[in-house]
Amino acid sequence: MKKLFTVGLNVLFIFLFITFAYAQSSEIRILHVNDFHWFVEPYKPLGSDELLGGIPYLASKANELRKEKPSLLLSAGDMIQGDNWANLFLAESVIELMNGMRFDVMVLGNHEFDFGQEILKKRISEARFPVLGANVEGLDYLKPYIIRELNGIRLALIGIVTEDVPLSTHPRNVAGLRFISHTETAEKYIKELKGKADVVVVLSHIGFPADRDLAEKVKGIDVIVGGHSHTKITKPVSIGSTLIVQAWEHGKVLGVLDLTVKDGKIIGFEGHLEKIKPQKGKEDRVTLAIVKKYKERVDAVLNESIGEAEMDLDGENVRKGETNLGNFIADIMRRASMADVTLINGGGVRTSIKKGEVRVKDVYSVLPFDNYIVAIKLTGKQIKEALEHGVSAVEDEEGRFPQVSGLTFKYSPTEKRGSRVKEVYIVGKPIDPDRTYIVATNDFLAVGGDGYKAFGEAIKSSRDFSVIGGMMKGEKVIYSDSGRWLRDVVVEYIKEKKRIAPAIEDRIIEIR
Amino acid sequence: MKVYVNQKSVDVLPGMTVKHALMSSGLFKEIEASKKAYDEWGNELGLDGALSDGMKIYVKNCKT
Repeated sequence: MKKLFTVGLNVLFIFLFITFAYAQSSEIRILHVNDFHWFVEPYKPLGSDELLGGIPYLASKANELRKEKPSLLLSAGDMIQGDNWANLFLAESVIELMNGMRFDVMVLGNHEFDFGQEILKKRISEARFPVLGANVEGLDYLKPYIIRELNGIRLALIGIVTEDVPLSTHPRNVAGLRFISHTETAEKYIKELKGKADVVVVLSHIGFPADRDLAEKVKGIDVIVGGHSHTKITKPVSIGSTLIVQAWEHGKVLGVLDLTVKDGKIIGFEGHLEKIKPQKGKEDRVTLAIVKKYKERVDAVLNESIGEAEMDLDGENVRKGETNLGNFIADIMRRASMADVTLINGGGVRTSIKKGEVRVKDVYSVLPFDNYIVAIKLTGKQIKEALEHGVSAVEDEEGRFPQVSGLTFKYSPTEKRGSRVKEVYIVGKPIDPDRTYIVATNDFLAVGGDGYKAFGEAIKSSRDFSVIGGMMKGEKVIYSDSGRWLRDVVVEYIKEKKRIAPAIEDRIIEIR
Repeated sequence: MKVYVNQKSVDVLPGMTVKHALMSSGLFKEIEASKKAYDEWGNELGLDGALSDGMKIYVKNCKT
């Protein structure tokens, strides 16, 4: 009986202790998104029949959750590039929406650099919230961290971005900038913030594996709100005393992390992802109005006349022969990447453009895929093998049929596959099987799309990648601009030239 | 950069994404057929997610 009484007393004591402790504590809420790439409207993810996302629904959910307790709305980067809705307005639309949603702070992602530094500075100056980048040197518009007081809790938010930014955007976009170690940066600012904050949050755009590594190496981080790897972390992950959260991608979910803080320590937490899906009558009016406004402008921009074609541009016959449109696109790619030759798949060119006025939407219909330009060193032998693969199914009019620039070749469709290509010339000279040439292509073929193996083999044999003199260098890879879609490069070219008159130039000759 | 898809190594460029790794491994069609990509800790990955050297991706049926 005495023992039972003692146990009961202990339970009561613990209960009272917890109640007292929580009574002295404060609750705050962190709402977070990452890698939005500005998908403003709901969409069905590949392989799914469920409509997810939609900015007015995301905003509505954020507003609802804000009312429940003191909250901050954070973005872990990659907001301003991706969908046409963002790209066509160089992300002005995105910042207006983020202002409308009352974001409290964001960190730069690697794609925030894709429109160049001048545009980035303009967007930062339009934002009604601070933009962080503690490990970016050379861009004064950024803050390394901010301190916010919320329900009596002082939160320090430090922003870090992947050091690999120069490897994934055009060199001119990061000229003069330095991306220093995110680990050293976090250590430096945690030291500086000692005594100034109750909770330290790192707003990170370095990816979940690197977030884990950061949590293991750097002590003093209470929470990492991450992005970059598009990881769907359904419950907060604990590494030591650090919590890591990340909210998937494209606004398909809203991350929610509730913290209970006492005496500068997190004594309780609950985190989850709120699924965002369209619900009639649940749209946030402010963001809905902004979406509608820019949607009308999207139509206007897509209808914008950018130049004139002096003849029909043939996108119909790209799977069985050389066409002037295939030549035109291949030439632009060679020019943009300063390659010796271009080799692309005809199947990537989806339709024709009629003689006369050329509009943005015409180019977007020709090149609807989110492809970008890559330039890789191949030997003459590998180029010939790639051409052999390209013409190996011409009788079936498969998408692998090549469109080229900087080279000419003949082929015989009646000969057996693998022995069809004859007389390959590069810039007027017979191809040298042992010499290396720089070949521009798209990212789809670079990873073996349409059965092309040569580029993948070159990537495989290319050693470490680094940035030297502002350019990404690998042993075999000399150009890769993942931040700029090929269709936008073509639009820009037509805008510059105004009148275009590409011809068939006997680059690909069929012999019988 | 080397990543692993269902334990098969594939080589991709910096700046490429989960989608590129799946295409390179020949498993992209599995996603179209409703399978999903997960990291080594069992978290689902978006197709536009950034890759890191040595990353392990698993393509499998959706978690319920």
